Amino acid sequence: MKVLILGGAGMLGPYVVPLLAPHHELRVTDINPLPFDFAGEFRQVDVANFDQVMAAAEGMDAIINLSVLRQDRQLAFDVSTRGCYNMMRAAVAHGIRRVINTGPHFAVAGPTYERFDFALSPDMPPQPGTNLYALTKALGQEICHVFSEQYDIYVQTYLFYNFHDPATLTPGTDATPFSASWSNAMEIFLPGLAIDLATLPSRCEVFNVFTDMPHGKFSNEKAKRVLGFQPKDDISRLWHKVK
Amino acid sequence: MRILITSAAAPLAQQLATALRPEHEIRLTERTFVPNLPNLAVSPLHHDLSTNLLVREIDALVHVAEPLPTDNEIEQIDYLTRCTYNLYLAAVAEGVKRVVFLSTLDLMTPYAEDYTVGERWRPLPTTATTVLTKHLGEFVSCEFAREHKLDVIVLRLGKVVHAETVANQPFDPLWVDERDVAQAVNRALTTDAKLLSTFHIQSASPNARFSIASAKNVLGYAPVYDFQN
Repeated sequence: MKVLILGGAGMLGPYVVPLLAPHHELRVTDINPLPFDFAGEFRQVDVANFDQVMAAAEGMDAIINLSVLRQDRQLAFDVSTRGCYNMMRAAVAHGIRRVINTGPHFAVAGPTYERFDFALSPDMPPQPGTNLYALTKALGQEICHVFSEQYDIYVQTYLFYNFHDPATLTPGTDATPFSASWSNAMEIFLPGLAIDLATLPSRCEVFNVFTDMPHGKFSNEKAKRVLGFQPKDDISRLWHKVK
Repeated sequence: MRILITSAAAPLAQQLATALRPEHEIRLTERTFVPNLPNLAVSPLHHDLSTNLLVREIDALVHVAEPLPTDNEIEQIDYLTRCTYNLYLAAVAEGVKRVVFLSTLDLMTPYAEDYTVGERWRPLPTTATTVLTKHLGEFVSCEFAREHKLDVIVLRLGKVVHAETVANQPFDPLWVDERDVAQAVNRALTTDAKLLSTFHIQSASPNARFSIASAKNVLGYAPVYDFQN
């Protein structure tokens, strides 16, 4: 499958690109050069630039959006909100039916959920609050949702939060109850590209991606059930007492 | 009451300013200079002190949220998302208590025409820029009401017209006269409604597309123009 990756030089790219490269023909893009070796096609693309995104999407079968900008208010809206608009316009123009978007867990489960509730599902109506990162990503997700309602485009959104390297854990310190190892979390992209789109419950589906955790704060059941995500027991030393 | 009205270049904003001025102290703002407007404050609605100064000592915002005629689709999205965020964040910081956000009933028109669609029905935005942007503006408004306890009154307007100007045209069930819109905005500025409240604003015509029962009951909205003649 020919896959366009937007924001490939960010936090997730160094894990996602090497994982997918043996299986798919990748066109990796970012506004910045890649900070890792990649022998395939790379283009310098600003996701906030409509023409650049449109050109990059030509000939692709799927788009994965890893782009994010968290702190600068102008750039956060440019990248996280309008970047999704550009991506979806490009998907429409080029007949790309498979889009995978990414974001933080609080693009759905903002403080009005997280402070009060447990067993938080990705299918709740979004309540991101007004945190810049959460809201700009939630607006981007909402744009994806509206496009998926109007066009025959399937958008999967993977929500992440905390990532860990199993080799550098500090045991017994507990963990944010939405955590996974980098490598385990990124495995979600393989079934996401392989799944028969017709088997998805709708054209816009959101998934919580984290390992099995005893906290009960969030639910990853849907990622396991729909995408076959297989959590690994590689960071559980975080919440086990040190003997 | 000291009112800041946004989108001063839009005819509706200017009509609102004229209609509200007898009862309120009105200031208009726009992202660019607009000639012949008294009390115009030009503000790009950026993330800086100038936006705080714009809303300082204001009691309520009327966020008309209409793009400039020169705005392309990207700029329209930017206005209804980033600029609205900056405006609301400054408003919260400066103690503004209320926002009246002007949205569109185009968010509800995909429903079957024989449904009695009210404010408790889920919006059905399309990707048309004018509709999508209003939906995103409502989204931002909702989050500020939820998190900052800002009182946001969303008025979803039909097609705003001047009754005398359309007198010879075939009736459009989405019509609402601009003077009735001004009445609805004025009521929204003083209603007891808290947090997020949404109202559909149409004419008094029995053939209007959407019900205005909620606006009548809660806001005391009493439209004058029914386009029956």
